[in-house]
Amino acid sequence: MKTVIKTTNLSKVYTNTAVPVHALKNVDLSFQQGEFTAIVGPSGSGKTTFLNVIGGLDKPTEGHVIIDGTDIATMKESKLFDFRLRHIGFVFQAYNLIPVLTAMENVSFIMLLQKQPKKEMEQRAREMLEQVGLSDKLHARPSQLSGGQQQRVAVARALASKPDFVLADEPTANLDTESAFNLLDIMSRLNKEENITLIFSTHDQRVIDRARRVITLVDGAVDKDEQFDRN
Amino acid sequence: MKMLLTLAWRNLWRKKRRTFITVSSVLFAVVLAIVLMSMVNGMKQQMVDSIISNTTGHIQVQDVLYHDEPTMDHAMEYSEEVRQAVSRYGEHIDYSVPRIEGFCLASKEVSSRGVYLMGILPEKEDRMNNLSDRLREGKMFGPDDQFAVIGRGVATQLNLALGDTIVLLGQGFQGMMAAGKYPVGGILEFPLPEQNNTLVYLPLKEAQHFFAAPNRLNSLILMLYDQRMAEELSEKIRNELDQEWYTTRTWLELMPDKVAAFEARDAQVRIFAWVLYVVAGFGIFGTVITMMHERLREFGILLSIGLKRAQLAGICLLETIFISFIGVMAGVAVGFPIVYRFYLHPIHLPDELGEAMIDYGLEPMMTFSIASDIFIYQGLTIFFIALVVGLYPVRKVFRLDVISAARK
Repeated sequence: MKTVIKTTNLSKVYTNTAVPVHALKNVDLSFQQGEFTAIVGPSGSGKTTFLNVIGGLDKPTEGHVIIDGTDIATMKESKLFDFRLRHIGFVFQAYNLIPVLTAMENVSFIMLLQKQPKKEMEQRAREMLEQVGLSDKLHARPSQLSGGQQQRVAVARALASKPDFVLADEPTANLDTESAFNLLDIMSRLNKEENITLIFSTHDQRVIDRARRVITLVDGAVDKDEQFDRN
Repeated sequence: MKMLLTLAWRNLWRKKRRTFITVSSVLFAVVLAIVLMSMVNGMKQQMVDSIISNTTGHIQVQDVLYHDEPTMDHAMEYSEEVRQAVSRYGEHIDYSVPRIEGFCLASKEVSSRGVYLMGILPEKEDRMNNLSDRLREGKMFGPDDQFAVIGRGVATQLNLALGDTIVLLGQGFQGMMAAGKYPVGGILEFPLPEQNNTLVYLPLKEAQHFFAAPNRLNSLILMLYDQRMAEELSEKIRNELDQEWYTTRTWLELMPDKVAAFEARDAQVRIFAWVLYVVAGFGIFGTVITMMHERLREFGILLSIGLKRAQLAGICLLETIFISFIGVMAGVAVGFPIVYRFYLHPIHLPDELGEAMIDYGLEPMMTFSIASDIFIYQGLTIFFIALVVGLYPVRKVFRLDVISAARK
């Protein structure tokens, strides 16, 4: 299987605090295409920092993040914007969507930034919204959708541009059980059907139970890296 | 670009109250600035019009030495050359007013006093300053009459009544003795005591005869259709004349003290206007800061998913442009009827203020201007200030820490 992300000796130290905080310590991990991985650990264990660093939102203090043969740890910010746009999908905990755009427009947004042809873009956005079960909400604005529906639109948007991998930072944290299961069903299905690599940071046992790989971080270091057969 | 425009436009209506507050800040600033400048410019124009119509006119053709040494010896010949030079630019000149004037001694029996004698064509003066409207007793002379019309103060101080004779003595052209006696045919009342106590009018032809200066004038006043043409036209007419003998001067050159007073007043108004602009700018700034803090997380997420900083800054800038434009247009729409109402119906000033204006020879009313440049200049100034304030979010976007913003 193709390696999508490889981190070596990845460390992150926050020095703008009274005492330096070692958020990541020498993390060496590889993620293969199509994996469904949950990054777990207690609060302050470095889950979000790890996602930020491999997502190119934050720079490591030391180490490398190799994506598609490129070390994004040394990349300039202006190039990183473009790299994120073309290679990485994001799903955040809440307020994911652009409030003034409809579901269709939100899903099309990244493809629009990528300057994809309008016809293909609309077709793909429609298709993704159908896949997440929102074909009847194409023209609804975020304020007209429930929290679960908004997260499904966010997933559709993250996957629509066919990124190398999708990073989801506690996407189910604000959802009720039914919405969370619904979202996880959709993401599991898309993970299989589209062979997209999904990496979650989560506390949510419902997510952990679906993940085929669970990496536990403790104090910024990898404590456990377990594989599960979920078939 | 279309996407940026769409996002910016829709963002405006996302929080209608916030947009309403910001637009209102711009609107009120524009309305206040328009009303202030309309009032100031209207008053200034009223003063300028008063100076022009009561004293100088727009342009004067004079003997080249008259301005520096205003004596009868420097009365110019009203020659064919002058007539032709003026008529060459006739399309810009509404009418001309010839005058011959000088100081004299006026007396009746044993009383005497200094007066200022003006030889005029009454119908021309009436067009310029409605002189006949100031007539309180008797009648105004015609061009061929041979009686005098005098100020109320002159009449009182010399104990002159209608039908009495006023004796005038003065210096005529080139050392000639100027002497004459005229029946008083009319008495005028002026708002300014200085005018009331000194002015004596004779028909132009009679005054020229009195000063022994036939066909001579101290000034040929030109009243233009458009005041703004004064300097350009003055220069053109001057170039048509023999500059060894003749020159032209605009009202600005003839009244340098008044011009200096206007400039000082304009400077005060500008300071006041800038205080207004700064207050307006801070009003807009306050809402912009609130907007920024409300949307930091959204900005962080947009930048995370791939929107470039320049694109996000562009959205913020477009929002500011939209808000400023709507505010300015609404401000002009609200401001125009207000100043137009006061343009048609000037505010009559109460007693004390009104008297002060009368003392200056002005109507006791506050007039407003509806000149288009007030709306354009004030609108553009506030628009520019709003744009400068709008640069704050742009600067903030370029300095935004994506992670901390997305976590807000």
